[in-house]
Amino acid sequence: MPLRLPAREKAEIAQTVPPQDDREAACRAWYEAYGGQLYNYLRFHLSSPDLAEDLTAEVFLRALKSFSRFDSALGSPRAWLFRIAHNALRDHQRQARRRQLVPLGGMRDLEYQAPSPEERLLWEEEVAGLLAAMAELSSGDREVIGLCYGSELSMTEAGEILGLSAAATRTRLWRALARLRTALVR
Amino acid sequence: MTERPDGLRGIDQKLRSVRFVPRASFGPELRGRLRRGEQPSGGGHRSLGRQLATAAVVVLTAGGALALASFGTLAHIGAVTVDRCCYDLDGGGDADDGVLILTKRDDRLHRLRVYEDLDGSRSFTHTDIVRLDRGAEPAVHGLASQGMVTIERCCLDFDGGGPADDGLLVIGVPPDRVLMAAIYETGPGTGSRSSRAAGWPLR
Repeated sequence: MPLRLPAREKAEIAQTVPPQDDREAACRAWYEAYGGQLYNYLRFHLSSPDLAEDLTAEVFLRALKSFSRFDSALGSPRAWLFRIAHNALRDHQRQARRRQLVPLGGMRDLEYQAPSPEERLLWEEEVAGLLAAMAELSSGDREVIGLCYGSELSMTEAGEILGLSAAATRTRLWRALARLRTALVR
Repeated sequence: MTERPDGLRGIDQKLRSVRFVPRASFGPELRGRLRRGEQPSGGGHRSLGRQLATAAVVVLTAGGALALASFGTLAHIGAVTVDRCCYDLDGGGDADDGVLILTKRDDRLHRLRVYEDLDGSRSFTHTDIVRLDRGAEPAVHGLASQGMVTIERCCLDFDGGGPADDGLLVIGVPPDRVLMAAIYETGPGTGSRSSRAAGWPLR
């Protein structure tokens, strides 16, 4: 039996949930503001630009669908979007493990300032090696590296998403980097 | 331990210089998907009750959907355009070909176009060369000739369904002829990435 709300309560709910146009406008504005950071955060975890695009789109489609759950009193839109991204990434990795699929590789989305094609190829190989080494780390290590480097958040901002102080985030980051360095040497 | 240890300076600087940029057309595509109010493809585990409720809605609306299809209007509901670039799909040697697909989510494919990304925009534009343009059914276009090659790309989301579980099969004659192109959905847990090995139906 459907829940029947009094007219006054319905009116209050209607006031708290913005119309579809407003939600869409907010998500569009969030993409303009944080889309690049989210894409880079996801890209640090994924081996292909196509997967990163798919998951970035998934983040904003989920945000649109769950817009009414966003509460600015509890945190910034960016922190909320990064939590959605974290969950989308976790879902993807679970499915990827189950399917045993290997996505197409490619570094076509990598920015570079190398003057020659040869130098660019070397840089692509170097970054591919970095991502492959990152894949050997724990999810906690990958998370802190992705937040602090991929999305260029400050220690305080990354800590807000991880639920840690800036100092604790920094400590976690240095330890993760030490393990990444070891993985790279292997 | 709050200051960066000296031994980590190199890897710290290397990571700082890594920056990725999505395709230029990705933003406009996403804005279109938001405007259409597309549903996300997943959201973790769903409860049994929610799955049953979804199944019930599907059963109840199937009749209505069939009625709509008979009037030819179903193709306009929830259509998704997927633009993937760039791969070597014509056997020419350069990864400068893209595929543009109009499909309903995880459903029948309506249009598939293989193009050469002439302007280097990494998405289809009017200046690009169309190598193949087909409708709903995969079929060989043009006369088969010697030197045909089969090219497969797997696995990506070619049908807009969300998961990267679709393959693309192209038959061409290098360096620039494309005779047939189709997508297929890979089966879960098979570990195989070839349509020929698994016998998955082409769309």
